[in-house]
Amino acid sequence: MLRPLLIAGVVMLAVGVVSADAAHAVWSGLVIAENVPQPTAIPPELTKFEQTLKDLFGYNQFEVIGQSNKTLKTGEEDWLAVSKYFSLQCDARGENDAGYNLNLKLYKEKDVLLETDANLSKSSPLVIKGPQVGNGQLLLVLVVKDDEQAHRHRREQPANPITAGWNRFRRAIHRILP
Amino acid sequence: MKTFEEKWTAWLDGQLSGRELVEFESSLPDLAAAEAEKRDAQKLGLFLKKELGAQALSNEDFFSHQLRERIAGETEESHGSGGRSSWWTVPRLVWSGATALALFFICAVAIMRQHQPGEQSEYLTQILKSQVDPVANPNATVSIFEIKNDNKVTVLWTEGLQTLPADYAAK
Repeated sequence: MLRPLLIAGVVMLAVGVVSADAAHAVWSGLVIAENVPQPTAIPPELTKFEQTLKDLFGYNQFEVIGQSNKTLKTGEEDWLAVSKYFSLQCDARGENDAGYNLNLKLYKEKDVLLETDANLSKSSPLVIKGPQVGNGQLLLVLVVKDDEQAHRHRREQPANPITAGWNRFRRAIHRILP
Repeated sequence: MKTFEEKWTAWLDGQLSGRELVEFESSLPDLAAAEAEKRDAQKLGLFLKKELGAQALSNEDFFSHQLRERIAGETEESHGSGGRSSWWTVPRLVWSGATALALFFICAVAIMRQHQPGEQSEYLTQILKSQVDPVANPNATVSIFEIKNDNKVTVLWTEGLQTLPADYAAK
């Protein structure tokens, strides 16, 4: 009587492990950094390294003018983050142990301003300093989201209890072994 | 009521007496021949007793111990074959599952520890190639550096890009 339940449990755990590890979300943002008297709150995707951005560029406000949240399943997806005049085209060309191999192109309308190939690590954001825009600075930011951030954006979808449990377990392990 | 064979055997062994003996001997057709046969049987009996006497066991304790062992073994075997079941009983299955999970956790922790110190560069984003449109931005330069604090930010720093009007900051 208990055996089928146990076997089913093991199978579900295995499926949960596979599905939990299968996808990561990459946040890509076009950000205008500038100094203003009353800065607005920083976007949640940038809060983790807000101070680093402030120290690095010397601005007090970071406003997102275009963004994209892309869940990578195969590691070979394409996506676009667009604002009125700029667009960041991201072409993922595979996944490796350290992260995702990306080809990035920054367009100003139809002109390519900048092209770069990067290996985007899952634990290391990429910040690209773009052109000066008015009194501010265009920044391109790419972040592979951790589970907490990804979960926040998936809140509308019903959560898979096995995946959620597995993610909680992973976070607990990471807290024990930082 | 004894049969003739029973009375005959008893007469040969000398166990008939009294009226029974008289009645039996009188029923025999040839008493002399029967007496001769009786003597021969008694002689044969004596001979057999003498020649085939029971041999005393020199190690009877060991012999009985061996017998008891064999009987006990056969009894146990017959019990076992009657109620045979799979090795995978529910408690064993639970223990096996728990052991497998424990091994999994140990392996997971070991693998996670392998990725801790000394391999930090593996976790930093790397810029493999970068170029700026040389026609629109002939003086542009590109440099790369890493902020090795907790955030581990990799920065691609451009200089000399054409400045754009504030309208370009529109969403």
